[in-house]
Amino acid sequence: MNLNKVRFTIQVITFLLIVYGGYIGLDLGDKLPTFACVFNPEGTGGKCYLGMIQHDLDHPWQAFLGFAGIAFLISLFIFVLWVWVLNKAWCGYVCPLGTMQDWLTSLRKKLKVKFIEYDWANRESIKKVKWILLILLLLLPFMVSNSLLGLPKLPGGLTMPFCDICPGRMLIPAFVGDFNQFYIDFSNPTDLIMTSLGMIVVGLFIVGSFFKKRFFCYFCPMAAFQYIFSKQSLFKLYKDGSKCTKCGDCYNACDMDILEIADDIKNKNLVTEDCTLCLKCVAACPEEGCLEANFAGKTIFKSTKEGFILRMAMNQQIQKESNND
Amino acid sequence: MEAINTINTMKDEFKNPIAAMDAFYELYEDVYCKQKALHEDAIKVGTMCIQIPSEIIYAFDAVPIRLCNGFYTDDDIGSDLLPQKACPLVKATVGHFASGNFSDKPHFVYSPTTCDQKTKAGATIEGFGYEVIDVDFPRMKESEISREYFRQSIREFTVDLSRRIGKKLTRKRLKNAVHKIGYAQSLYHKLCEYRKKEHVTISGNDMFFITNAFFFDKIDSWTEKTQRVLEELKQREKENITVAAKVSPRIVYTGSPPIFPNYKIPMLIEQSDAVIVADETCSSNRMFNDMVAVDEWNIYGMLDSIADKYLKACTCPIFTKNDDRIRRIIDLVKTYSADGVVYQAFAGCTVYELEQRSVLEAMEKAGIPILYLESDYSPSQGGQLSTRVEAFIESLKMKKRKQG
Amino acid sequence: MKYFAGIDIGSTAIKISIADENKDLIGHKISASGSMFYKYAHETLDALLNELGLIKEDIVYTVATGYGRKIFKEANENISEITANAIGARAAAREHGQIKTIINIGGQDSKAISLDDEGSVVNFAMNDRCAAGTGKFLDACAMNLEIGVEELGNKHFESTGTPLSINSTCAVFAESEIIGLLGNEHSVEDIVCGVHYSIAKRIVKLVKRVGVKEGIYFDGGPALNAGLVNAIENELGKKIFIPRYPQITTSYGAAIIGIDSYHYENKL
Repeated sequence: MNLNKVRFTIQVITFLLIVYGGYIGLDLGDKLPTFACVFNPEGTGGKCYLGMIQHDLDHPWQAFLGFAGIAFLISLFIFVLWVWVLNKAWCGYVCPLGTMQDWLTSLRKKLKVKFIEYDWANRESIKKVKWILLILLLLLPFMVSNSLLGLPKLPGGLTMPFCDICPGRMLIPAFVGDFNQFYIDFSNPTDLIMTSLGMIVVGLFIVGSFFKKRFFCYFCPMAAFQYIFSKQSLFKLYKDGSKCTKCGDCYNACDMDILEIADDIKNKNLVTEDCTLCLKCVAACPEEGCLEANFAGKTIFKSTKEGFILRMAMNQQIQKESNND
Repeated sequence: MEAINTINTMKDEFKNPIAAMDAFYELYEDVYCKQKALHEDAIKVGTMCIQIPSEIIYAFDAVPIRLCNGFYTDDDIGSDLLPQKACPLVKATVGHFASGNFSDKPHFVYSPTTCDQKTKAGATIEGFGYEVIDVDFPRMKESEISREYFRQSIREFTVDLSRRIGKKLTRKRLKNAVHKIGYAQSLYHKLCEYRKKEHVTISGNDMFFITNAFFFDKIDSWTEKTQRVLEELKQREKENITVAAKVSPRIVYTGSPPIFPNYKIPMLIEQSDAVIVADETCSSNRMFNDMVAVDEWNIYGMLDSIADKYLKACTCPIFTKNDDRIRRIIDLVKTYSADGVVYQAFAGCTVYELEQRSVLEAMEKAGIPILYLESDYSPSQGGQLSTRVEAFIESLKMKKRKQG
Repeated sequence: MKYFAGIDIGSTAIKISIADENKDLIGHKISASGSMFYKYAHETLDALLNELGLIKEDIVYTVATGYGRKIFKEANENISEITANAIGARAAAREHGQIKTIINIGGQDSKAISLDDEGSVVNFAMNDRCAAGTGKFLDACAMNLEIGVEELGNKHFESTGTPLSINSTCAVFAESEIIGLLGNEHSVEDIVCGVHYSIAKRIVKLVKRVGVKEGIYFDGGPALNAGLVNAIENELGKKIFIPRYPQITTSYGAAIIGIDSYHYENKL
C-alpha cells in the first residue's frame, strides 16, 4: 500500500469535512479530539473539545455540584469515547492543523529545502511544554470564576486562554475567506498580551512547520489530553520486539522523531505521547510483521518485506543511467 | 591449492547440485586461481569491515572491495607480522597485503575502528605501502551520542572519499546506489524464502558462496547470477529436488565469518547430513539483512539513514551489549524452524570468544541446542572438529527421530 | 540369534564388543591400534568371533566408532564416540541406576558428556588438544617412575600425607617436574598420588563445563586405576560408578546402536 497517497487522500477528505462540513449540515458535536474551530461557525463540521472544556470550566465551583457537574462529566466521557475510537490517529489523519503542516512539508520538499531536526538533548524538555499548556488551559478558566489559593479571580480575557494563542483560530477561518482573526486587541492589557502571543504563535507555526515536520504537534495540549486516555483505545500500534533488528528505519521515517518506536523492544503498545499514528513507521519497517496498526483486533496495516521493497522502489534493477544530475 | 579444493568439494560431494551455481564457482576460479581482474579501470575502494557503506562508494561510481581474507597461506604469512595468538582472519588479511597478491588491487583502504585486531592492523598494512584511512565507529550503539557520532563519521567519510575520487556526491547517484544495493538485498531475501521451507532446495554452503561473492564481484553481474539461481530454485521446488533428507537437522550458523576458502566447518556440517538454513555472520546474512529506508530522498536524509542502519542494526560482537545479536539468533531459529545452533569462534577472536557465554546461556534458556566450536585456519584440525560436529548432529537427529 | 558388532578404533587401542538381540554383551576383545589399525581391527574381530564360536555371517550389523571409524569401510554405519559412549554407559549401568554424567579418559583425549532423563546427549566437552589429563600422561609418569601402569592404583593408596601438587600444565613438562620431585627424595607413592590429583582436577573442570548431575559413570582404560578413581571422587565430592569392563563401553554402545539401526532399516 502506498501510504503517502492513502494518507494524503484521507487528510484532504477530513480537512474538507472539518472546515467546510457545516455548509452541508455536518455537525459531529463539540467534543472532538481535533482542532475544529468555533471561530469558523458556518463552515465547521464540529467543534474542538479544548474550546468547550475551557468554556465549561469557567464557572464557580458550586455549579459543578449540580447538574452542570454531571453535564461536564458527560462531555468529558464523549470526548474519551472519540479518543477510544481513533486514538492518536485524530492527529495524523483528521486534524486540520496537522494536515496544514503536512502540506507545508510537501511544499518544502518540492522546493528541495532540507528539513531541520531538534537537537536530541532538548527533546525531553520540549515534551513537557504540551503538559504545561494543558494544565494552564484547564486551570486559568477555572480561576476566572474562582479565587484559588488567596489569589484574586483572573480577568475575563483569560476565559479561553488557549483559543487566544491557538493558531487554529487564525488559520482555519482563513480557509473560508475570513482573515479577521489575525489581529491584536489593544483594548486591555490581558487581551493585548494574549492576542500578541497568538500572532507570534501563528507566525512560528507557519515558519516552524515549514522547516520542521509537524513542528506544532510537540507543543499541542490536545495531544497531551488524548494521551491520558490513549491506552484503552481500539486503534492500536503494536510492535513485535522479537522481530525488531533496531535498524532505525522507523525512527528515520517518524515526523515526530520518536525514539521509542525503534529502541523499545519490550512493550507491545507503542503509541507514545507524541505519536500521531500517521503509520509512516509501519510503512518504513522492512521486517515481516514487526509493526502493525490494529483496530479492534483486526490488522489494518502491517509491515512486510514485500511491501517495504515496493515502497522503497527496490524491486527493479536500475539501468545504467548516465549519472548527470 | 586451497581455493580449488574448496570449489571441487562443493561440486562433487554434495547431493543435487544447482546448475546455476556453476557461474559462481567459475567466478571464484577466475578470481582466486587465475587471478583475473574484474574491475579494470574502476576505482577500487578497499574496506576492512562490513560497516563501511557500500551505497556511498557506489554513488561515486567506485567499487567497494571487502578485504577480509580466508586463505591459510596468507594466515601463515601474517603470523610473522602479528602475534601468534591473533585472529586468523586478521592475520590472513594482513598477510595478503604483505604478499601484494591482488587481482583487483585497492587504491586505498577504509578501516572502521571495530575490534582491536582490525583497528591495529591498519598501521601494519600501511607499512606495505597502502593508504589506510580510519573511520570512527562507536563501541556502544544504544546511546544518542553514538548515533550522532557515527552520522558525523559517515559524513567525514563521504567528504574524504569525494576528495580522493575527485567527484561530487549528487542526490541522484546516491539514490540510485541505495536502490541498487536494496535490490541486491531483496534478491537475498527471496533466496532465504526457499530456506524457510520444510524441503530445502539450496544448501547453506551454496549460500555462502553466493553471499561471499558480493565482496568482490561486479554488482550487476552478481544480481544476474543470483537471479538465475532463483529461477532454478523455483523449478527445483516444483520438482521437489532437495539438498537434505527430512530427518536432516536444520542448523543456524553463527560466529566468526567463514570466508572463502575457509568453509571447512560449514562443509563439515553439511557433509554430516545436516543443512544450514540460516546464518548470523558478517560475511553473509548481515550484509543483506537490513535494508535502508529513507523518508526524504535528499543527500543528508539518505546519509543519515545509511549511517543509522549500519550502526543500529549491526550485531557485531564489538559492542558493549549484545542483546540484539541474541534476539536475532533466536528469531532466526524460530523463522527457519532450526533444530540447533552452531557457534564458531576463531581461536584468538576476543570478541566472539567473550560472547560465547551469554549466547550459550540465552540458548539454554530458550531451549535451543547449541554447539560451541573453536577453530583456526590450519588445515589439520579435521578429526577434532568432525567428532564434535558429528556428535552434535547425531544428538539432533535422535531428537528429531524421537519427535516423529 | 542375531549378533551385532561395535568396533571402537581409538588412537591407542582397538576395542570390539559383540551384543545379542537383547542388548546383552556376550563378548569383547581389546588390542593395540599400532600403525595399521585397519588390518588389526579385522584381525581382532576375527579372533573374537573365533573365541565366541561365531562366524562372520552371524553378525548382521556393524557400527564403527572412534578416531578411525571412517577407515573401517565395512561397517554398516559409523557414529561419533560421544553418542556411542552415552548409549553404552546407559546400558552397562542399567542395573545400577540412571546415568546422567559420563567421564571418559582415553589414551589421547578426555571427555565429559551430560545426558537428559531419556539418555540423549544434551551437552559434551572434549579435551583433545593436550595430553595432560589423558592416558598418555599416566603412561609417561609410570615410565618415569619405573613402575607398571597397573601398579599406579596400589601406589596411590600407599601414599602418606597430602598429595603433592604437579604444577605444569603440559604433560611433557610435567615429566621434568616429576624427575625433579624424585630428586628431592619425595616418595614414588606421593608423586603418584600427586599425578592422580593433577589429572582429577583437570577432569573435574571439564565435567563442570557440562554440569555435574547425579548418576556419574567413568570409563576408558584409566578407569581401571582405583587410585585415579579415588582422586576424582574426592575432587568431585561424589561417588562414581565404574563398569566391569571400562574400556569397552563405547564399543558396546556402538553395538547397541547397531541393533536399533538394524530394526529401523528392516521395518521399512
